[in-house]
Amino acid sequence: MKTFPILAVFIVWSAAAFAADQTPVKPSPKLAAMLDARDETGKPIITPEQRTYYEGLDDNLKGLLNHAADKETISRAEHLSILLSLNLSPQKLDVLLQNNCVLCHSDSANHTPDTLFVAGPSANAPAAVPMNLKEVVEDVHFRHGISCAGCHGGDPTADLGHDFVKEWPEKDRDKNRAWVVQFCARCHADPTKMHDFNPALPTDQLAKFKTSPHGHRLLDLHDDRAPSCVSCHGVHGIRPAKDPQSKVYAQRVPETCGACHASATVMAGITRADGSPMPTTQLAEYKKSVHGRALLERGDLGAPRCNTCHGNHAASPPGVAQVSKSCSICHSANASLFDGSKHKVAFDQHNWPECGKCHSNHNIAKTSDSMLSTANGGLCGDCHRQNAKDNPECIQAADYFHHTIAQLDDARKRITADSEKFAARGLDVEPISNQLNDLTDALKKSRTYVHSFSRSSFQQVAAAGEQAIGKSDELTSNARGEFKFRQYGLAVSIAAIGLLMLMIYLKLRQMER
Amino acid sequence: MGWIDRRYQVTPLFEFLRHKEVPIGSHWMGWYYLGGVTMFFFVVQIITGVLLLMYYQPGEATSYESIRILTTKVPFGWLIRSIHSWSAHLMIVSLLLHMFSTMMLKAYRPPREITWVSGYLLFLLTLGFGFSGYLLPWNKLAYFATTVGTNIVKSVPLLGDWLLQVMRGGQDVSINTLYRFFAGHVVILPLAFVGVIGLHLLLIQRQGMAPPVGTTTAPRGMKFFPSFALRDLLLWLACLMLLITFAVFLPYGPGIPGMDWELGDKADPFAPAYPGIKPEWYFLWEYQLLKEFPPHLFGLEGPQICLFVIAILLGIWAIIPWLDRRAYRNLNSPAFTDFGWAAILFLTYLTLMGWDIGAKSGSDDPTSLQKSAHVCALWTLAAGAVVIIVRGWRFKHRWFILTGAALLQVAVHGLLGLPYLVAGVISAGAAFVIITAMFLLGRASRSSAG
Amino acid sequence: MEEPSPSDSRTSRRHFLDIILGASLLGWITSVAYPIVRYLKPLPQTGPTGPTHLTRDESGKLEQNKFVIVPVSGQRVIVLQSQDQLYAFGAKCTHEGCTITYLPGQSVMWCPCHDGRFDMNGRVLSGPPPQPLTKYIAKKQPDGTIVISEQHA
Repeated sequence: MKTFPILAVFIVWSAAAFAADQTPVKPSPKLAAMLDARDETGKPIITPEQRTYYEGLDDNLKGLLNHAADKETISRAEHLSILLSLNLSPQKLDVLLQNNCVLCHSDSANHTPDTLFVAGPSANAPAAVPMNLKEVVEDVHFRHGISCAGCHGGDPTADLGHDFVKEWPEKDRDKNRAWVVQFCARCHADPTKMHDFNPALPTDQLAKFKTSPHGHRLLDLHDDRAPSCVSCHGVHGIRPAKDPQSKVYAQRVPETCGACHASATVMAGITRADGSPMPTTQLAEYKKSVHGRALLERGDLGAPRCNTCHGNHAASPPGVAQVSKSCSICHSANASLFDGSKHKVAFDQHNWPECGKCHSNHNIAKTSDSMLSTANGGLCGDCHRQNAKDNPECIQAADYFHHTIAQLDDARKRITADSEKFAARGLDVEPISNQLNDLTDALKKSRTYVHSFSRSSFQQVAAAGEQAIGKSDELTSNARGEFKFRQYGLAVSIAAIGLLMLMIYLKLRQMER
Repeated sequence: MGWIDRRYQVTPLFEFLRHKEVPIGSHWMGWYYLGGVTMFFFVVQIITGVLLLMYYQPGEATSYESIRILTTKVPFGWLIRSIHSWSAHLMIVSLLLHMFSTMMLKAYRPPREITWVSGYLLFLLTLGFGFSGYLLPWNKLAYFATTVGTNIVKSVPLLGDWLLQVMRGGQDVSINTLYRFFAGHVVILPLAFVGVIGLHLLLIQRQGMAPPVGTTTAPRGMKFFPSFALRDLLLWLACLMLLITFAVFLPYGPGIPGMDWELGDKADPFAPAYPGIKPEWYFLWEYQLLKEFPPHLFGLEGPQICLFVIAILLGIWAIIPWLDRRAYRNLNSPAFTDFGWAAILFLTYLTLMGWDIGAKSGSDDPTSLQKSAHVCALWTLAAGAVVIIVRGWRFKHRWFILTGAALLQVAVHGLLGLPYLVAGVISAGAAFVIITAMFLLGRASRSSAG
Repeated sequence: MEEPSPSDSRTSRRHFLDIILGASLLGWITSVAYPIVRYLKPLPQTGPTGPTHLTRDESGKLEQNKFVIVPVSGQRVIVLQSQDQLYAFGAKCTHEGCTITYLPGQSVMWCPCHDGRFDMNGRVLSGPPPQPLTKYIAKKQPDGTIVISEQHA
């Protein structure tokens, strides 16, 4: 009998727990009123899609919405409608609903456009305005829990609090943006602080920036045009460089740099180290170059863009001596051949940028064998006539390179065409294509070994190609012979069948007579 | 000879052959040779098939590789494979010609109904040969075409899922499918084919070739041996000539989609399917018809209804000897001649569209499809006009209602742009109304005359 | 010699025709039999299909350079030896299709065109290549020959 009350309590308790577990969170009266609110024309303010989104939320989020409605951080149906229309993932909505800064600053009843977050770019809030809710929730800082307060100060859980951090300039924030780099550097130059969020991220950006012409112009010359962190990374909506929507994603870097460097007004009056005016044609040239097309048209993310050669935070033009260092990041084989060549000495004497002298810089065109031409207008010929008249053997070597490569290339084209023809005739072309692979390889190598500017090194790699041509020619003539054999065989068979038919026909006539 | 005859009594057989005659009628004798030509191609298939079997190794790591070695390294391997493929396609061509000529000449009328049905079975078995043989090289093209092709059986009511799994040997096309198709291609189908063709030939030898419609007494005849048999032989030798010439100069087929057997890449079940996968040309009409059905119709799945329609059409084709009452009484039956032509035009239009004639291949863009339908309609209408003129002028035919209906559908769909099915319903309705009206008028005039 | 009678000349003509018919039949049978007889003669290799074997020449190169590039059904494959382990990969760089080589000292495969580097699993270590190299299987047979086969086969 004694156990009965305990048992009863237990039953009631577990039933209550069960009920609590099972009942879904219902909208609180205030939230329910907002969900059902209608505008003056009688149309529901919360659209059916927003309603469905709300119904699909989990209990935790519904609870947070109830809480916000009860505390009146969300007090109007229009405001609720904006938040629901964002269609955020549960994790992001969770962060957003716990942030009173965003909740208050997204209610148009409380704020003027310069402090109001909108759901997306629209006519009265153009995209340039960095007050975009969708962007903010994508921001890498926001996602790491560094919300508004992380930069601006204050307490996002308090009902009201504008306790700005001391580094935040009270006024003239737009006039000179030099303060921005110091502001970001509070964390980004502090290894201990960065360690809490992303230990792998370097903390030397500010130091590098100070060494760059950008930094010099911004910090020392106080030039308003000079970029700060936000110029390239954005403000609300900063994404990691590997995010395809980031402004510093590989394929978007050229446009980001070009925003200033392709603009004559921004670049007006800025000069290069030698005093000449800063050009604005780099972006257009790059887009046409073999690298630009690889990156932007073929989507080859390994292709170099502005920062590959110029650096990121320490962006600066490479000096004459450094050009080949930039190129050799990828073209290491060509660079090491060049370094061992006679040209290296000669170019250094002339103070020429090694690779750039022949291949140019921003508008590097796809190389062609005609560059080796020694005729008038040919690269080798023109330069040597001007600068190295006394060495006729150089011209001969160039002619030899040009001639040999052309020969290999012609043979490659011829053998490719032959092998396609044979394949269509049903002949076995596998041995030919194996040789063709060797030939293509030798051709590529020969073109590379031109950079040794040495007849003997070149000859070694070209010889492999010539050998492949010899073997392919033998194989193609075999294949031709095989096809001939098939044709002759066919002719003989047809003759045999024809003769038999004729005889049968004669026999038939004889029997029918 | 005497030794054999004492034991097996072959003399009556020779006597039978010596006296057997082939009727000479008002129609072209050429039609009589088509069955023999089809059989010749089948014999070539058996011989080359057995030869291919000596090198072919079914298996995930060997099917494709063994065919590759066969065509590149084995002496004359290319020739055997090429002849096998060419002969397969030409066999279907001659089989179709044989079937339609039999149909037009009403050779199915009594006492030859079973001959028609057995020939019809041979037709289905041949299609089965084509479908199962296509997968065996285990290349990319065959793999995806088989995936698409076997997917159709899923729409068979009730049994669909089971059938699909039985055909594929699992949920998806895999090497197990190849084993099943291989067994079908080299054992099951040949056994069935040899059985049915035995019956077919036995009936033809017992009953002789059908004389033209309307002849009652035995007409003039051509001696089966040697006159007909040696002519057969001449034609077969000519076909052999054709085969080897094609095999040498076009080893991978004529380059028409659906008639191309270049090996290409090995099948890769993990690779994504590419657009524009087409079945072989003799399945194109079915493939196109499936595309013309919407996903859902009358609360049923579109492919299901389409399969039902195809089954009905094939069913009608099988029992034509019993449907054609006039031919049954040895009278001309213009309606069924017209039905045969209507069927040909129906298949022509679908096949042309399946080939994307006049459109970018594999494009599903509606304007391009509409343009294709337009071009195909013009071609089909031109062919239809030629058929009607030749039949009306040369053969004095006067019955064109079904051909007209088929052409009406083509015109309404291709030229006016109405959906294919709507066009079909319109023209079927029109044909039905006209035939009913004719029937009622005919009865009225007969009763008034009586 | 007496003149042959018309019936005699007819029989002899028939006889002659039969001989030519027989001869042409024989000729035709030969033309059909020749390809078939050639076709049925087995290939010199042990089996028509199956994995690629390294030739003695190629094995020697592998021994000497620690790697060798061999054709496997139309593709170039690099076979290499690293710490007594055999590896094989598609030798075509996934970036621009140049042929890669092996740097034995560094245990990496290297593409000279744009300095792409791959580790012993074919994964990209550095440089522009977007994808890892295709793997092949290399095995040493008990008799010492080396066999290369495609991975999914």
